[in-house]
Amino acid sequence: MDAFSAVLQGLPMTLVLTLSAFAIGIVGAVPLAVGLSSPNVVLRLACRLFVDLVRGVPIIVWLFLLKFGIQVGTFKFNPVGAAIVGLGVVSIAYLAEIYRGGLESVPRGQNEAADALGLTRGTTFYRVLVPQAFRIVSPSIATYLTGLLKDSSIASTIIVAEMVFQSQSFARQHPTVEGILPYVLVGVLYIVLSLPVAYLSRSLDARMRKAVYA
Amino acid sequence: MNWLIEWAGYLPQLMSGLGVSLMIAGISIVAGYPLGLVLSVMVSAKNLAVRTLGLAVVEIGRGAPALVILYLFYYGLPKFGIAFESITAACLALIWNSAAYSSEIMRAGMQSVARGQHEASAALGLSWSHTFFRVIMPQGMRSAIPGLMGVAIQMFQGTSLAYAIAVPELMKSAYNIGSQDFNYLQIFTLAGICYAAISMPATWITVYFEKRMARHA
Amino acid sequence: MTLSEIANGKLAPRTGIRLDNISKRYGDHLVIDDVSLNVEPGTVTALIGPSGAGKSTFLRCINLLERPDSGTIQVDHHTIEPGKVINAKDLAALRRTVGMVFQSFNLFPHMSALKNISFPQQKVLGRSKEEADERALQLLERVGLKDKADQHPGRCSGGQQQRIAIARALALDPSIMLFDEPTSALDPEVGLEVLAVMRELAQDGMTMIVVTHEMQFARDVSDTLVVMADCKIIEQGDPRAIMSDPQEDRTRRFLRAVLER
Repeated sequence: MDAFSAVLQGLPMTLVLTLSAFAIGIVGAVPLAVGLSSPNVVLRLACRLFVDLVRGVPIIVWLFLLKFGIQVGTFKFNPVGAAIVGLGVVSIAYLAEIYRGGLESVPRGQNEAADALGLTRGTTFYRVLVPQAFRIVSPSIATYLTGLLKDSSIASTIIVAEMVFQSQSFARQHPTVEGILPYVLVGVLYIVLSLPVAYLSRSLDARMRKAVYA
Repeated sequence: MNWLIEWAGYLPQLMSGLGVSLMIAGISIVAGYPLGLVLSVMVSAKNLAVRTLGLAVVEIGRGAPALVILYLFYYGLPKFGIAFESITAACLALIWNSAAYSSEIMRAGMQSVARGQHEASAALGLSWSHTFFRVIMPQGMRSAIPGLMGVAIQMFQGTSLAYAIAVPELMKSAYNIGSQDFNYLQIFTLAGICYAAISMPATWITVYFEKRMARHA
Repeated sequence: MTLSEIANGKLAPRTGIRLDNISKRYGDHLVIDDVSLNVEPGTVTALIGPSGAGKSTFLRCINLLERPDSGTIQVDHHTIEPGKVINAKDLAALRRTVGMVFQSFNLFPHMSALKNISFPQQKVLGRSKEEADERALQLLERVGLKDKADQHPGRCSGGQQQRIAIARALALDPSIMLFDEPTSALDPEVGLEVLAVMRELAQDGMTMIVVTHEMQFARDVSDTLVVMADCKIIEQGDPRAIMSDPQEDRTRRFLRAVLER
């Protein structure tokens, strides 16, 4: 097997990790973002603390904690589970912060107009603020996805057979010059994989500017 | 309260690991940011060769996961006969990483300087180098400060990946203790607290600066 | 069709509003100092004065976008004491009776002009989509923008956006309309389109309170001129009388500065 196929073997797992964690993050970040903007001081600070704590600890530490540290009865995380949960929770924290920034960027006047018209808080939030916030932050969300793709490589340290892990094992088996190939290839592969998302992010950004700003 | 005493016992070892982490982070920032500045200029250059080279260095440094670059330097290069010590390899890899990220922040900062500044300089007859170094750069750098602080924190957290190439930083120290005493939960929690104790205040300071600068914009 | 005819042939009841002893501070900073105002039904009140006098803040107290620290608001058999706890029902009723037009229009950019006007009707008044859309189209026609119905605000000029905003506020059948410097963000020429719509509204008998710098409008259209300075009302009465012969020195200085430009 050549280096390229070896690395490709890890691609499905890389995608599974990235997309599962992203899905968890996209959904889980919504309640957290609401909490971060809440008028209730206690709730707001608790959410703030959670986000800052999760983002303040390196991902590898979270993965190790989940894989080696959690033992409830007979339940232990298997490597893939630990990776998905760990990356998922980290995504929730980062995306909640992005959502919050978006909500805050919606001009104050929108809230005032909605209030003056008599729209309820719920309607204002979901039909006026969220659509606008989403347009504002969709480029950032796309950028986050590319970051998440790269972070999935950290799962290789807890023995998850994604791309970097596969390139490592190939390199170990080939002590000759050929052994550098998997690293170069996997690097190129990550860059190539991030291109469509970067393109999407740029076009989302352009569309957003047109629709919201004229 | 037993665990507190246990934890206190682990601290010296963890602290030496933390010291290594901070040292590597420091090196990657001190060497990486100036390199990042050079890259940001290269990327905006008129000469195609210069621009392409700059872009390549930045896109690889940003586009490849830090772990891959670490492996490349530590496991990859020896196949060509260039062998680095683990700490050296980690520093080189993270310098590349920090140069790439910081160059993007600085480039964005420079671009955000209002057109009017360029026009005023041109109208006054200032040379390109005066315009760039005395008018645009100071303003661009100022608005890049919060972003650069963020990258610094990222670099500090990134040193944890050097675990994978056997650098005796914080993560490795924690893992060593854990595999000895089998108390992974405690030791990684302690390690996490060490990281958080530095990252969290640093982030709060960054946010403070961001707000202050927005006010004076 | 006049606006009153649009309201199914019946005139929306003319309503006045009475504010007593409204005060507001921001921290140590006094913004409104014990201001009282009685607005008769069907009249136009123009609020003028130097910047920072508290005019906009006072206007926004009327529909409780700002909460006064003390005072009472009486409208339509409701009495509201903003200094104390406000009943949610009273607040909703107040917001239905009082419509507002903002200096920065504040249209919803992600909705078409038609949807901007139709959506609040559906959510606040519970009208069906068909009914809301129909009224929205009528109002758009009334302000001269029927062809912009499917356009998003971003593609409309400032004057057009403000007229759409007026239509949006009118769609909820308010009895009182508040205007917060409606033409300040517009070119003078473009502002005329908006002022024309406001004049017609006034002719139809809408109770209006307008914070403005447009002195001609204030003199020609308003029934009562209120001059605010230093957080208080310093003079109020017939607009032509005040403008030709102000009683207060402060008013005199302000008018001179404004009219001399």
